[in-house]
Amino acid sequence: MSVIDKTTPNDAGSPSPRSARRTKVAEPERFALLGVWLVLIIAFSVIVPETFPTSANVSNMLGSQAVLLILALGLIIPLRAGDYDLSVAATLNLGAIVVAVLNVQQGWNIWMAVVAALVACTLVGVVNGLIITVFDIDPFIVTLGVSTVVQGLVYLISGSVTVSGIDRDLSDAVLTQPAFSIPVDFYYAVGLCVVVWYVFEHTAFGQRLLFTGQSHDVARLNGVNVAGLRRTSLIASAFIAGLAGVVFAGTTASADPVSGASFLLPAFAACFLGSTVLKIGRFNPWGTLIAVYFLVTGITGLQLMGAQQYVQQLFYGGALVIAVVMSKLVRARGERRRRALAATAV
Amino acid sequence: MTNAEQSEHTDDLAVTTAPLLEISGLAKAFNGVPALRGVDLAVRPGEVHGLLGANGSGKSTLIKILAGFHDADGGRVTVHGTSVQSPFGARGLRDHGLGFVHQDLGLASEASVVEHVALDGAGQARGGRRVDWKAERLRVRSLLERFEIDVDADAKIDTLTPVQRAMVAVVRAVGSQELTADGARKGQILILDEPTVFLPRHEVALLFRLLRRLRDQGDAVLLVSHDLDEILDVTDRVTVFRNGELAGTRETAGSTRDDLVQLILGASNEHVPRGAAIVRDDRAPLLSARGITGTRIRDLDLDLFAGEVVGVTGLAGSGFEELPDLFYGSTQASAGTVTVAGETVRKVKPSASMKQGVVLIPADRKAQGGAAALNLLENMSLPFLAQRAKGFRIGWSELETQAQATCERLNVLPPNPRAEFGHLSGGNQQKALLGKWLDTAPQVMLLNEPTQGVDIGARREIFKLIRSAVAEGMTVLCATSDYEQLVEMADRVVVISDGTIQSEISGDDITKDALASAVYAEEAS
Repeated sequence: MSVIDKTTPNDAGSPSPRSARRTKVAEPERFALLGVWLVLIIAFSVIVPETFPTSANVSNMLGSQAVLLILALGLIIPLRAGDYDLSVAATLNLGAIVVAVLNVQQGWNIWMAVVAALVACTLVGVVNGLIITVFDIDPFIVTLGVSTVVQGLVYLISGSVTVSGIDRDLSDAVLTQPAFSIPVDFYYAVGLCVVVWYVFEHTAFGQRLLFTGQSHDVARLNGVNVAGLRRTSLIASAFIAGLAGVVFAGTTASADPVSGASFLLPAFAACFLGSTVLKIGRFNPWGTLIAVYFLVTGITGLQLMGAQQYVQQLFYGGALVIAVVMSKLVRARGERRRRALAATAV
Repeated sequence: MTNAEQSEHTDDLAVTTAPLLEISGLAKAFNGVPALRGVDLAVRPGEVHGLLGANGSGKSTLIKILAGFHDADGGRVTVHGTSVQSPFGARGLRDHGLGFVHQDLGLASEASVVEHVALDGAGQARGGRRVDWKAERLRVRSLLERFEIDVDADAKIDTLTPVQRAMVAVVRAVGSQELTADGARKGQILILDEPTVFLPRHEVALLFRLLRRLRDQGDAVLLVSHDLDEILDVTDRVTVFRNGELAGTRETAGSTRDDLVQLILGASNEHVPRGAAIVRDDRAPLLSARGITGTRIRDLDLDLFAGEVVGVTGLAGSGFEELPDLFYGSTQASAGTVTVAGETVRKVKPSASMKQGVVLIPADRKAQGGAAALNLLENMSLPFLAQRAKGFRIGWSELETQAQATCERLNVLPPNPRAEFGHLSGGNQQKALLGKWLDTAPQVMLLNEPTQGVDIGARREIFKLIRSAVAEGMTVLCATSDYEQLVEMADRVVVISDGTIQSEISGDDITKDALASAVYAEEAS
């Protein structure tokens, strides 16, 4: 290697390892959504000062979105590996209804019912994962089909009616307010956020997910078991969707076969919007958390101003489309800048 | 013989017929690197014209300019007597009466012959135009009949043999030209870009009969090929490119294989000293393959010993490019075993290969080598994640220190592990990948076209890196069609033809001439 050593770039005035680490590219775009969020909060506080900036409203916003946040945190796992999982909302329904039916109608202990629900939901992920990897089929279409099948099962199990009267223990476990009068399910969601962040950033599994999402070939040639990884990610998202379903059942002390479906689009909107924050172009848990609360801030504020129910759909749908466009634009802009920087380094 | 003498010699034909396609002074550079330095080419009606040249000679660049993939920097193209200026637009010169058959043919396996021809015939027509299927079917049937091709117009592409598919692609190109031609235009121009690479040898004759038929009705065919036998067999004249320049145009009748090889390679290169290698063939080989069978490779045995660089080469489609993938396990061999460090494996897998110290650097850096959107650190740390993970946690700071050191040792620019992989030049990407794998202390390194798209300077550095790694007891298998690289780097070269080892050249016998004649050698039949 002596030949190469002669051209060690230190004498060419290149930055040493330490300083190179510090010369990270400043990317204000990374915080754009946070800024918009802040503007929204200030605007609503000025417009509806008697209802918006109250502790009751804040704790309501934080608590009411925990289910959505948990669901979205599960969804970003397969998304990071490049796979869409459209079955998460139906799986959430399944989780909630299994808890309700077993506990209320079959008289099971509530925690046994919860475990059974989680097992049932995990099975959905196993089915997704096996079909997708064994037959090598586009996950988009597989999970769409599985989603419909699971929804059918939900109707079958529930007899198409709302099952109410779930054991209070479950409600207590998700709704008690340990601090700042914020329901505990919010803290669960934040805890999950930490776990997902750790797995994504600090474990080999997270890095392999990232590479699998970038290119199956690159991952495979670097010794990654791509099929196994995709399977695991789909199973994880189904399991977490089951958790979301259990929390959902707890917050309402009942379960009905349909209302979970309304989480699907908001979850995707949060994941994609989240990928425009903090780590641009990457699905990341903290970005997802910010996106979830950004969305609910907008919706709650508008509703407090007197907007009707439809504003929710306008906001979520619009946010998903805008998020996808934004992530493209922001990325292109950052790319130009980094490219210019890379060029000057040469 | 100089070019001037040669063109004089061919002039007597030219006075009788004006060329259908005439190219003069066509130039094109990519990022300042010239790919075409002003080439001339004339294809006359009633001839099959061959276009030859080594890799990187500019053949494909020319075809891509004509097809509208690239815009030319300068030069003139005359089609049917009308001069056309570059850029030619997305449809290239199709609307001026050029038909293209690309190497991969561009056929969709689920669609029928009629659908393919109809799609191409629709051209720029408005999307709402109704397709008259009855008329289309009639047109396609008459085309197939006229060229005596025994294919059902309603057959799906995947039910056809490879050569039938190639012929359908040719007929499609002919058909679409006939549609666009106004009555005044006579003769068509058809450009075939290495159409025979994926065809079984015995079936090639069928395709050539079709080409001769086209020639006999006064059309002009430009046939791009690597295969000297084909060129000698079917063409009337042949043009050779070398390093983006015109090396010469010859009448095929009267030319010999040696003339053409000489023209392709130019002046014989002097031998570049490689430095003596200490090949440990007294010890057991680091990797030994027995009876390996892949898509094109058939029942191949090969041993790789410590301290040597083994080159593998052959014509495109001979199967040589498959070997690294078969040994690494990224393509599953249908038969055979690979023995690494005394352990025999039947089903080779990339992850298991890595553990045994076998690594692969694929030819397609952007799609297979690294993830372009991720940074250098992430790309370079992928093989180390498991071993550097402390318990559950990745040691990012150690990984960064290691990546930084590797970048600086290998002179990767910019030497910044946070730089995005996709923003590096090809040479720097390749150095980073090499560094990454060298850091795993591999026993066997499998390379596929390691210097494709790499500039001259980085190329030298890569050669030196590989040589020094080999000197420390590693073995390298390098699949490439770049003879110069083999001359500079390889201790022995295995020439593959039709999926089997045809010959082996070693030591000082490895010269560009020796390689070219081995590769272009008549196949044992």
